[in-house]
Amino acid sequence: MRPSPSAHLDVATPERVSLSLPVAGLGYRCLAYLVDLLLLFFFWVVAYFLFTLLVSDVLGFFQGLSGLARTLLVVGVFATQWVYWTACEVLMDGQTPGKRLVGIRVVRADGAPVGVLECAVRNLVRLVDALPFFYAVGCLSVLFTRRHQRLGDLLAGTLLVREERIDLGKYAPASAPAPSSAPRPATPRRLTSGDTELILSFLARAPWLEPQARARLGARLVERYGGLGDAERAALLASPGDAEAFLRTCAQAER
Amino acid sequence: MTSSLPAFVGRRRPDWDALGALLARQRAGTLRLEDLRSLDVLYRRAAADLAHAQTFHAGTDVHRFLNQLCAQAYAVIYQPPRERWAALGAFFRHELPRTLRAHGAYVATSAGLFLLGILLGAGVVLLEPRGAELLVPENLRDSIARGEMWTDGILSVAPPNAVASAIATNNLTVTIVTFASGLLLGLGTVFVLVNNGVHLGSVAALCAREGLGPKLLDFIAAHGPVELSIIVIAGGAGLRVGQSLVDPGELPRSQALVLRGREAVKLVLGCAPFLALIALVEGFVSPGDLFSTPLKALLGLALGALFWGYLLRAGRA
Repeated sequence: MRPSPSAHLDVATPERVSLSLPVAGLGYRCLAYLVDLLLLFFFWVVAYFLFTLLVSDVLGFFQGLSGLARTLLVVGVFATQWVYWTACEVLMDGQTPGKRLVGIRVVRADGAPVGVLECAVRNLVRLVDALPFFYAVGCLSVLFTRRHQRLGDLLAGTLLVREERIDLGKYAPASAPAPSSAPRPATPRRLTSGDTELILSFLARAPWLEPQARARLGARLVERYGGLGDAERAALLASPGDAEAFLRTCAQAER
Repeated sequence: MTSSLPAFVGRRRPDWDALGALLARQRAGTLRLEDLRSLDVLYRRAAADLAHAQTFHAGTDVHRFLNQLCAQAYAVIYQPPRERWAALGAFFRHELPRTLRAHGAYVATSAGLFLLGILLGAGVVLLEPRGAELLVPENLRDSIARGEMWTDGILSVAPPNAVASAIATNNLTVTIVTFASGLLLGLGTVFVLVNNGVHLGSVAALCAREGLGPKLLDFIAAHGPVELSIIVIAGGAGLRVGQSLVDPGELPRSQALVLRGREAVKLVLGCAPFLALIALVEGFVSPGDLFSTPLKALLGLALGALFWGYLLRAGRA
């Protein structure tokens, strides 16, 4: 494999293939945390209004309940600090709503899903990671550990992996048949999978490119991989549509 | 033997899509028994495809896609066994007491540090009266100087169930911080233990000097023994974590931490229910004059003896 620029979790499965999952760094963690924080904030806004309703007791109906309400308030503070995170991660396969939105997931260091014990531990240590303010200890730990773990992750033996949304559609053959005017590649060069990937990525993004950039990139790819004579190439490059159809035939040619 | 990338994807993609659909159904909980066989087959095929992609198409989107697909299937197939209620029972019958006894030295050290703090705090206040200005918070000093206990006010501002829950969460926070600050190479736990000890010792000494000793005893007699024990146990767990960081032995630090930290965590989590129970005592029994001082002391001693009797005797072969 190519050396990867970002941290990866490597797992050797019993099937003797190695999985390599991208590890989520500080940015993803902060984003997910902010989303969760927003949710808890809305929870507290609602809870505050309910609580003031109970205490001021406009309806004169909740008098007996206010003691219970106070208990709930105190327990609620604790719940938002700890129970929310633990329960979500246990019930949602290692994700909180924020993590699900951002697309990251808590897994054990061997790639297995997290259990109750791991979730409980990593969230108990949240208190220390939050020291002395703004999660400073946790952020430093995330920045300086190889797998971007905060102290709670280190103690529980967990880490956060990223889930990418990968569309395989670009490998599918084009729905419309290639225009007959496009020349077939006469002596197709043997393309490596990297070359194929490059051509297909270009084709997948072409509709969103600036027209000039689209034509320029297409021309360069044709020059590089086409293996055509000058006259043929000039004819092909006269229309961008032909050039792209030609590239597609190149990339999807069976060997 | 290599086929081109699009041909490879075109040929294998139906299997991958089927596997993805099965995983989605597993997550939704609608997987049927007969699906398991095809899940197994599809996973093996995807793993073989991943190996193929690793060799011939490394670094492409197909490779990343198969990586992720296999990881999801792997997580579904090789799940850790679920914790059951029986396991919970076994934890409290054998595992918790055994773990505590295995870490007796750390708990003893923790108790020593706490005691050291108490002696320091009490010594400073008893030998040098002005030391109280340094060690005891001002609002406590004021109420002690007026000859009244700050704890008398507890019941007048809130009903007992609110007090109990507030105390429970507060104690839980103290316990967790005592334990978790062990991650700071154990220094955090040492600081928290000594600091809490100094606080307790200095307040107790000041109360004794101002003639409020009996009242303080009246307040802490019922819940003190168990509550302080739990803090000491959490301190022992924190010291264990710190020790595994300072001296990881043969293992890398991160692995030593996971391995020994897991044992230490059991102590803290195991103490949580006892902490909740003792908060009930602290909220309902300790304040006020509903129970006489000897009764409170008797209850406290009995609870403490039960707690330690359980921890030291349960689960022995």
